[in-house]
Amino acid sequence: MNSNGHFEPEITAFTCIYCAYMAADTAGALKLQYPANIKLVRLPCTGKTDVRYILEAFEKGADAVYVVACPLGNCHHVRGNERGRARVARARKLLESIGIEGERLEMYFLSGGQGATFAKAAREMTERVRKLGPNPLRQ
Amino acid sequence: MLIIGGGVGGMRAAIDVAEAGLKAYLVEGTPALGGRVAQLGFMFPTHDCVLCRGTSDHGYGCTRPSISPILLDNNLHPNIEVLTSTDVLACDGQAGDFTVRLRRQPQYAKCINCGLCADVCPVERPSGFQMGLTLRKAISKSAPRAVPDSYYLLEKTEACDECRKCVEVCPTAAVNLDAAVTERTIHVGAVILAVGYKPFNPREMQEFGFGRFPNVITSMQYERLASHSGPTEGTVARPSDGRPPKKIAWLQCIGSRDQRAVGAAQVAAPYCSAICCMYATKEAMLAKQRLPDVEAHIFTMDERAFNKEYNAYYTQARDRHGVQYTRCRISEIRQDPATHDLMLRYPSGRMHGEAAPGQGPIVEDRYDMVVLAVGVRPPEQADLLARALGIELNEYGFCQTDKFSPLETSRPGVFVCGAFASPKEIGETIIDASGAAAEAMRLMREKLGRLPSSRQYPFIYGEARLLQETGLLGPERDVTGEKPRVGVFVCGCGGSIADVVNAPQTAAFAAGLPDVVHAEYLPFACFPDGLNHIRRATIDLELNRVVVGACSHRTHESLFQRTAREAGLNPYLTEMVNLREQCAWVHAADPDGATRKAKELVRLGVSRIRPAQAISKEPRAPSRTALVIGGGVSGMTAALAIADSGFDVHLVEKSDALGGNLHHIYYVAEGANPQRLLRDLVNRIIAHERITTHMKSEVVRHAGSVGAFRSVVRARAPGGAVVETEIDHGATVLATGARESSDGRYGLGLDPRVVRQSELEELIAHQPERIVAMKHIAMIQCVRPEGAPDYCSRTCCTNTLKNAIRIKMLNPNCRVTILYKDIITYGFREKFYLEARRRGVLFVRYTDGDRPIVEIPNPKLQISNRKSQIPKTAPQSAIGNQPSAIVVRIHEHVFGQTLELQPDLIALSMSIAPGEDTASLAQALHVPLSTEGFFLEAHLKMRPMDFMEEGIFLAGIAHYPKFIEECISYALAAAGRAITVLSKEPLYIGGVVAIVDQAKCTGCLTCVRSCPFGIPQIRVDFKGVGGLTGAAWIDPARCQGCGTCTAECPAKAIELLNYRDEQIMSGVGRWGVRVEHEL
Repeated sequence: MNSNGHFEPEITAFTCIYCAYMAADTAGALKLQYPANIKLVRLPCTGKTDVRYILEAFEKGADAVYVVACPLGNCHHVRGNERGRARVARARKLLESIGIEGERLEMYFLSGGQGATFAKAAREMTERVRKLGPNPLRQ
Repeated sequence: MLIIGGGVGGMRAAIDVAEAGLKAYLVEGTPALGGRVAQLGFMFPTHDCVLCRGTSDHGYGCTRPSISPILLDNNLHPNIEVLTSTDVLACDGQAGDFTVRLRRQPQYAKCINCGLCADVCPVERPSGFQMGLTLRKAISKSAPRAVPDSYYLLEKTEACDECRKCVEVCPTAAVNLDAAVTERTIHVGAVILAVGYKPFNPREMQEFGFGRFPNVITSMQYERLASHSGPTEGTVARPSDGRPPKKIAWLQCIGSRDQRAVGAAQVAAPYCSAICCMYATKEAMLAKQRLPDVEAHIFTMDERAFNKEYNAYYTQARDRHGVQYTRCRISEIRQDPATHDLMLRYPSGRMHGEAAPGQGPIVEDRYDMVVLAVGVRPPEQADLLARALGIELNEYGFCQTDKFSPLETSRPGVFVCGAFASPKEIGETIIDASGAAAEAMRLMREKLGRLPSSRQYPFIYGEARLLQETGLLGPERDVTGEKPRVGVFVCGCGGSIADVVNAPQTAAFAAGLPDVVHAEYLPFACFPDGLNHIRRATIDLELNRVVVGACSHRTHESLFQRTAREAGLNPYLTEMVNLREQCAWVHAADPDGATRKAKELVRLGVSRIRPAQAISKEPRAPSRTALVIGGGVSGMTAALAIADSGFDVHLVEKSDALGGNLHHIYYVAEGANPQRLLRDLVNRIIAHERITTHMKSEVVRHAGSVGAFRSVVRARAPGGAVVETEIDHGATVLATGARESSDGRYGLGLDPRVVRQSELEELIAHQPERIVAMKHIAMIQCVRPEGAPDYCSRTCCTNTLKNAIRIKMLNPNCRVTILYKDIITYGFREKFYLEARRRGVLFVRYTDGDRPIVEIPNPKLQISNRKSQIPKTAPQSAIGNQPSAIVVRIHEHVFGQTLELQPDLIALSMSIAPGEDTASLAQALHVPLSTEGFFLEAHLKMRPMDFMEEGIFLAGIAHYPKFIEECISYALAAAGRAITVLSKEPLYIGGVVAIVDQAKCTGCLTCVRSCPFGIPQIRVDFKGVGGLTGAAWIDPARCQGCGTCTAECPAKAIELLNYRDEQIMSGVGRWGVRVEHEL
C-alpha cells in the first residue's frame, strides 16, 4: 500500500516453458489484455516448482503467487505438473498454518492455445488479491 | 533429399535425414508447417498434444505446430531448408540424381509478426485453419504460432483488393504486393512424399444436410471446436444458437466403406479410412469430459480399435464415460426447421457390447448436433503430383506401393510415407516417415554424415562446429572467475514494444542495475544491424553476460544465444526478457504499467544472469556398430538397412533359424509370396559382409547409454555349452516379435477338428485336397487365452478373410461361416471383406456377453485335463464309424435366432501375444512394457520407434501385432533412427541437466522415486554426505532436464543447470520497481 492508500498487487507467476509459456505468448499474439502487475518466472517444467520458491516469494512480499502448467496428462515431462501440483498444495498448507490466506496461491493448467484463459487467470488473481489486500508479510 | 509435404510425416523425415548428415529440402504447399495434425487439439488414445515430444530435444518450449524445436525459424537445423508455399513442377533424372523444379509464392522475410497488416486489412475470409468456423484477414497467419512464424497474403488475386494499407503500415517494409512468384531448380538424391490426405467433403452427400443444416458439422470442425487453440478455446457450442449441445451424434463412415460413386467426380471410397472410429471415440469422450450431462452417441458399423491401447480406450469410452455406441449406419439426417435440432432414425437395441436381444423397431431421436466422421481421401493435388513425379496411383487415387516394399513408389528413388500411401494415423505416419528416411539414407549411403551437425550448443548446433572449422567462429571465452559485466539491450521491435513500453527509459533503468556495464535501446535487435551491434558491443566492452529485452524465448532465444556465441560467449550466459508478447502487447492500454513491468522483468533478467555459469556438452564418438535383437522379418529388415548404409550389425536370434513368424505364412491376402521374401531376406543377411549373426543366442546384459552401449550375448552351443560374447555398439534395435497364443477355448486341443487359423493356413497350403472334401468350415474370431488382456490382434480378420477366400476358391460349395465381434479390415484391406462377402462367406456377429458355444462330442474329454489327453483322431459315435459332429451354437442378433452349425472344421483366430522373453528383455534393457505386455515406446503417437532411453529403437510386432508390410516400415524406421546415431561424429551429451553434489547426498532415494523417467540411481561407488557409501548419480546422457528431482531433494543436493535456485529465487517476491506515484 502506498502513501495514497492505493494498493497495487504485486504477483509472481511461475510458468513452465512448454504450454504455460506458450499460453502467455498466445495471449500476447491475440493482444488480450490483463493487468501489468504479474511477473513471470520461467521454469523448465512445473515439476521444478520448489516449495521454497513459493514461500520465498511470499516472504519477499509477493501478494500472490501462481503456477501455470501444461494440462494434466499433457506435461512435456510426463508427470512434472502433477509433482508441481502436489507441492503447491503443500505450500498452501504451510501458508495457511502461518496465517497467510491459501487463496493467495493458485495453480492453473493451460494448453498453449489458451491465451484467453491465461489472461483471465491473470485478471482473476489480481482481483482476488485486491480483495484480500496486501501480503501480511509486506512491511 | 527432397521431402514433399510439411505435416508430421514430412517433418519427421526431414529431421531424420538431416540428423544423418544429409541435406533436406522440406517443401510444403501451404504457407505453414504442421499439416492436419496442427489442427488437432488432442490425440487418441492419449488425449494429449505433446508435439513438443516429437523428438528428444528439450529446452525450447512449445514447438507446435512443428514436432521439434529444430524446425522453429531461428533454431532451424542447418541441414534443413524449409520451403513453404512451394509446389513441385517437375522431377527429372533417376534415383540418386534427380533435378527438381520448384515454384514458390512470395515470402515476407522481414516480417516481425507485429500483426499490424492484419489489423488494417479490410478483407475477411473464412479461416482454413479453423475449418471455416471463424474469419481471418486476407493478410494473416494461419494460426498464432505458425511455423514459419510470419504473416502471408492469402491469395492475392482472389481475396486481396490491393488497397495497400498493409504495405503502408508495415514497420519493416516486409509486405510486398508486387513480389513475383519464383522458380528454382534443386538437385537431390531421393524424394520422400509426405503429402497426407484430404478429409472427405460431405457436401457431396446431400442426405446429410451438411452446409444446409447449421448443426451438422464435420469431425474436423469438431476438432477445432474442442481444441484449446480453436475459435472458442475448447468450448463446444451449437453453430445455430451458441448453446452448449446436450445431445451429440457421430455418424461413422461418411465417405468411407461406401461403394457408391458420389460427388461431381463420381468417386467411390469402398476402403476404410482407419482413423475415424478412434477419433470419433476421442471426440465423444472429450464431449463427455467437458460438457456436463451431455449424451454422446456414435453410430458405427464395426468399431475398429485395432492398435495399441485402443481397445482399452474404446472400452473406457463406452463403459466409464457412458458414450453410447449403436451398430448401424444412418442413411439420412432431417432437421426441425424451428429449432435446428436434427432427427435420426435407427433400429433400437443394437448397442455395442451387449448381446442385443432387445433389437427392436426403428426409433427416431432428436439431437442438438451431428458430427459427420468424414473419411480420408487422396490429397488435393495427388494427380498433378503423380504426373510431375512420374509415379503411379492406386485404384483409389492413393500412392501405389507393393506389399513387401511399402515405402517405395513405382519410381525408384521416390519414397512415400503416411496417409498418401494409405489412410493412417499419426503414429504410423511417423513410423513411415522415419522408414522412408532410412530408405533415402540407404540410397545415399556415400553421403551419410557429410554435413555434420553437432549438438555441442543446443541452440546453435551445426553452425558452431562448421564456423569453427572454417575459422569464422572463435573459441569460447572462459569467463570463470570474472566479475560479471552485463550488457543489456532493449529492443523496440519497430514500435511493437516501443509504442507501449518506454524502451529508452527501460534501458536507462537497466544501466543502474548491479554489474550492468552497458545498456542501450535498439530499434530492431533481431535484424542484422541489431545483431552486429550486440556482437560488437560484447567484444568491445568485454561483456561476459548479455541480457536482451525483446520478444519470446520460444522464437528468439536461440538467435541471441547464437549471437553471443559468435562474440565468444557461452550461449548460457545470455538471458532474454519477453517485453513483447508478455508485456507491451498485453498491456497496450497501460503504458506506465507496461514500462514498470518491463523494468521489473529486465531487473529479473539481470539478476538471473549474474550468477549464470557456462554450460557445455560432452562429445562422445559413437560406436559404429548396431545390435539388432530378433531375426524375424523386422530384425532382418532393420539389420539390412543399417548394414547397407555402411555400419556393422550384430544380429541376435534366439532360435536356430532366421525368419520368425514368417515361416508360418504361406500366402498373403494381397497375393505376394511371403516365402520368397523370407528366402530373399535370409540370403541377403547371410551374404552381407557387415552383418554378424548370433544364432541360438540371447542378450543377457545391456549397459551404457546412447553411442556407447555394451551388451553380452549368450549363445547355446551344441552340447549345452554356453558362450558369452561382449559387444560394443552405438545403437540397439529391439525386434523380438510376438507369437500366436495357443492355450485354447472352444475345444482347441480336445478335437483335431478345432485348429488355430495358422494351422488352417497350413492345411490350405499343403493339403488343399482336404479342403476340397469339406462342406462347412467355421471360423471364430477374437479368441484369447483365459485371463489374457483384451486387445485387438489387428491382423486376424484379414488373415481369416484371406483363408476364407482361398477356401471359396478351392471349393466354392464349402460353406464358410465367420463368427466375429467386429471385422477389422482397415485401410484398403476392406476389399477382402467385400470379396469374401461377394463369394458367399457368411458373417455372424457375437458379443462378449453372448459367445458362441462349441460342443465337442465326447463330454468326458471336455472336463478332463486338456494337455494330457489330446486325442489323435476325432471321437467316434456309438453307431457306425462316422465321427460325431461338432456343434456350434450362436445367437444371431439381427433375426434374434439361435443358429446351430455343424462344421467339419473350426478355425480359431488366436490372439497374438508378446514373445515369452519380452519381460526379461525389458528388464535387461531397462525399457518399459505396455498393459498388453508389449514393449512400450517413448510416445505412442510422436515417437513410436523410440524409447525414452536414447539409442534404443523398437520395430515390428514386439511393439504390437502388425502386418508384414507394417513390420517392414517399422523396421526401416528403427534402422533410420539408429543410423542417425551411428553416423554422428561425435554425439554430444549433457547440457541443461541435473547434477548431484554428492557431498550433500544422503542417498535417500527421493530422486530415484520422483524422476518421471527413472534416471537417477544410487551408486555404491560414490560417497555421499559424511563420506558414507552410496550417493545419487544422474546420467547426463539420459537426464531430460525437467528439474523435478531438484525440487524434491530434501537435502538440496541436486541443482538443474541454467535453472539453479539462486537464479530463480532472485526474481521472486515484491517488485523491485515501485509504482511511479510511489517513488
